[in-house]
Amino acid sequence: MIWLNPAAWIGLLALAGPIAIHILVQRKAERLPFPSLRFLQQGRLASIRRHVLEDVLLLAIRAAIVAAAVAALAGPLIVTRTQREAWNARLVRAIVVQGADGAQRFQPSDRPFLSQTFETPAVADAIPRAVAWLENAPPARRELVIVGPLALGSVSADDLAAIPPDIGIRFEQSGGLPTERSIAGGRVLALKREFGLERDGFNRAKGSGSIVVQQQVTLRNTHTTVQETGADAPDPFPVEVVCSTDARPIVDVAIAAARSQRVWAPAANRRGRLVLLDSIAPAAVADGAPVRESWVADAIASIVRDRDLQVAGSQTPAGLSDPRLSAPPWQPLLLAPDGRPLAVAGASSASLVVVSGAAASSLVTPLLLRAMVNALGGPPDLRQAEVLPIPDSQLRAWSRPAAPVIAPRVDRVERDDRRGLWILVLVLLALETWIRRARAEEKTATYEEDVRVA
Amino acid sequence: MSRDSGIDSAVCPPEVLARIADLELVARIVVEGLVSGLHRSPFHGYSAEFSQYRHYRPGDDLKYVDWKLVARTDRLYTKQFRETTNMAATLVLDTSASMSFPTALSKYRYAMILSAALAHIVSSQGDAVGLVAGSRMIPARAGRHNLRALLAALSGIEASGRWDAAETVRRAAERLNRRGLLLVLSDFYDEEDATFNELKRAARMGHEVVLFQTMSREEVEFPYRRDFEFEDLETGRSVSVNAALARREYTDAIAAFLERCRRRAGAEGFQYSLIVTDTPPAHGLRNFLLARQR
Repeated sequence: MIWLNPAAWIGLLALAGPIAIHILVQRKAERLPFPSLRFLQQGRLASIRRHVLEDVLLLAIRAAIVAAAVAALAGPLIVTRTQREAWNARLVRAIVVQGADGAQRFQPSDRPFLSQTFETPAVADAIPRAVAWLENAPPARRELVIVGPLALGSVSADDLAAIPPDIGIRFEQSGGLPTERSIAGGRVLALKREFGLERDGFNRAKGSGSIVVQQQVTLRNTHTTVQETGADAPDPFPVEVVCSTDARPIVDVAIAAARSQRVWAPAANRRGRLVLLDSIAPAAVADGAPVRESWVADAIASIVRDRDLQVAGSQTPAGLSDPRLSAPPWQPLLLAPDGRPLAVAGASSASLVVVSGAAASSLVTPLLLRAMVNALGGPPDLRQAEVLPIPDSQLRAWSRPAAPVIAPRVDRVERDDRRGLWILVLVLLALETWIRRARAEEKTATYEEDVRVA
Repeated sequence: MSRDSGIDSAVCPPEVLARIADLELVARIVVEGLVSGLHRSPFHGYSAEFSQYRHYRPGDDLKYVDWKLVARTDRLYTKQFRETTNMAATLVLDTSASMSFPTALSKYRYAMILSAALAHIVSSQGDAVGLVAGSRMIPARAGRHNLRALLAALSGIEASGRWDAAETVRRAAERLNRRGLLLVLSDFYDEEDATFNELKRAARMGHEVVLFQTMSREEVEFPYRRDFEFEDLETGRSVSVNAALARREYTDAIAAFLERCRRRAGAEGFQYSLIVTDTPPAHGLRNFLLARQR
């Protein structure tokens, strides 16, 4: 026997209820004037307490009611071999289909006990929904079938790690992938000189010398071709740097350095601001607000993941001294060796705000600018354009059979053995009521007899 | 059937009698049905002085026929006597609070009915009857006037508090000027030894002692079953017991007490009657009177 909801056994504490009632509730003795009291023995004084023993049957029945109810709530399930075989003989299947036509192409050879199809353009998004449906399915072997072209990147190991181990995983390739696919890539900030438009050296590579480059990506088998077309544009550098006038030339160089790294151009409504505390008074720091926009949170996470920036930050001797910047709503981006944050991030009205304690001439500043711009823009998602399938070897490694049923959840079992216990509870309740009424009638009759006698 | 009341006194339940407020009427109901079955006076000790002859009428007792006169005159004459009182009876009634049990028909009310009936019988025989109950004392005198005074006194007495049984018996015995009849109605719970000593003393004074031990059925059989807090009617002391469990010991104890009273009475030559209040008073009285005739 297994208990599908063993935590319910804590309900046995309720047994204290009827016991306490039987102990605490004392039967009040009737007062009766009597003439021949001297013939009553004092030794019988204690006998008035014996009613507790008289009610042992009632107490036992009440305790049994509580125990049976608790046992029923605990979900007893007598798992016989036949029962287990019956569960294991059936299969519950969730089918995640990528693309509208995938479901029609998938024709399974067997007929599952229960099946549900989840059509989705992105497999990773549908897997949690399919798992949730399987969790609520009746006891059976459970299987998740992923049907689609199964292009590289459409399913990752992280997506599959969230699937419980007893759920089987199967991949069915349906629909072919094109041999070549060309999509618009991201936009990149670059210097004109890279395109031969200005070749007067690094020192002249300031704002006016920047352009926006549009990428066109072509995927053909294992080859990827990126074609860029540059366009002269007003300075679109998306990060405003707040610094002292003295530090401005150095900051401009840092911006040019960041731009030379071909950073991703963000959308027009995503902007950032970098405050360099080393060159201005702390009072100039704008009050940061808690992060509410999801893209700001993604941007902060992206900056923290920048490896070059973290290495550079760890080599800067001292962090920010203002304690306000070590507390919410500011989020630390970099930690100095002294344990204090070197750079913190927050949000202002629809923009990302970063406060840095590093000097303008520090390597941290251009790296921070690069990280911020990349975080605001981000690379294009090329997974939709992938023309290569996930290798069969990888699919085989990810595939696994549905595990046999071990302990089904109580609320998913179509029929467990709690019904018998509930019937027992009802029978005991009826018996308790009958005994209680009989006792009450007996007491009433006795009382009437005593009253009549008295 | 009683001619006056229309109630058969022989079977009239005591509860019905207890509801009749007029004690004289109750006494008549009890006694009239009772005496009709008794052909001889139950109380001895009176004498009769010859008064006159009268013609015999059917139904007259043949022992009063003057046979010598029949022989002389060939006519039947019966002798008539003028009764003279030579017996005085005093009713001693227990007025302690224990007699007020049970509430529906108390032992005291029952004893009161019994006393009234006895007083009626004694008075109707022309003998003197008196009463000692609590602080009230009616000297033993003959006549209806005295009977009515006695019954009125009985009606006005309530059972309450304690009762000095020995002192009351002593007083009653000493107030009887000549050898008389002492009728004691009590449960004899109070001062058992002292009371019997006084009764023995009364007997030594020449009085005939008759004891009516008046008990209720509840006291004798203890028919309770549940938990009770019994409160003593006289002392106020209370005892909590489970009646079902205490019943055996109680009934054994009270049976021993009743048997002891009966034996002590028998040993001293007292006439003893155990009267249980759920029996019609006439029954108990009839048994008592029949026993006296034997």
